[in-house]
Amino acid sequence: MPAPLPYVMAGPVAATAPATMSAPTISPAELDEPTDEVAVDPDRPWVVIVWNDPINTMSYVTFVFQKLFAYSRQKATKLMLDVHHKGRAAVTSGPRERAELDVFRLHEHGLWATMQQD
Amino acid sequence: VKRSPFKRSSDGTFRVRLSAEERQVLRSLPEQVRQMMADEDPDLVRLFPPAYLDDEEHESEYQHYMREELIKRRLESLSVVEDTVDATHLTEEQVLMWMRVINDIRLILGTKLDVSEDNEDATASLHPTDPRAPLAALYWFLSFLLESTIEALQG
Repeated sequence: MPAPLPYVMAGPVAATAPATMSAPTISPAELDEPTDEVAVDPDRPWVVIVWNDPINTMSYVTFVFQKLFAYSRQKATKLMLDVHHKGRAAVTSGPRERAELDVFRLHEHGLWATMQQD
Repeated sequence: VKRSPFKRSSDGTFRVRLSAEERQVLRSLPEQVRQMMADEDPDLVRLFPPAYLDDEEHESEYQHYMREELIKRRLESLSVVEDTVDATHLTEEQVLMWMRVINDIRLILGTKLDVSEDNEDATASLHPTDPRAPLAALYWFLSFLLESTIEALQG
């Protein structure tokens, strides 16, 4: 039998650790709200947005953009830097089904991605 | 010379150089993640983000259909890591799964350690007696492995 495992992830880390986990840094209030009540045109493209987060590394985010969207290293790096410095970047856009698939693949890779109509 | 646990070989596979102790650590992790998913542990929040922020109808639809699929994909990757934890060579597909599992666990640990832009470095210098020290050590070990998978995949 293996030795007792040194790393147990479940359960609280310590009494000294912050009582609440790090909340997602995004809230709906931070989004650009529509400025009027005009109905949204269903044909307007959906934009996939990746948000900054403190855990995913710059190299990982760049690699995921290259891998998922076949972007050049240069384009992927620019988008990653936008996420890092501006807090978010639009990485793809298109019909809703396509955007949802992109969001899914980003979620599969642990990136914080959302979608909204342009 | 910098150590590279993962390296692309000329035949397109990837060579894996890890110590028995490191492999033992990796072996211990997939089952814990599976259990946390079964328990819907709140520390998994970064693995299942919302897709729509201000559209409840689409969001609940997304969670209904996609969350299950996300769990399925993660279970597959966890099994592959478990099954290949002692391998000295991996296919590119397997390295990509290792990469995602390693990053998922970093996300869980980062959430538990409350890593933020300002304090990530602080987790690198915790006192050995600090109760968070073992998780922080694991976080930095996985960060090192993640970087190596990316370098190997891009090489």
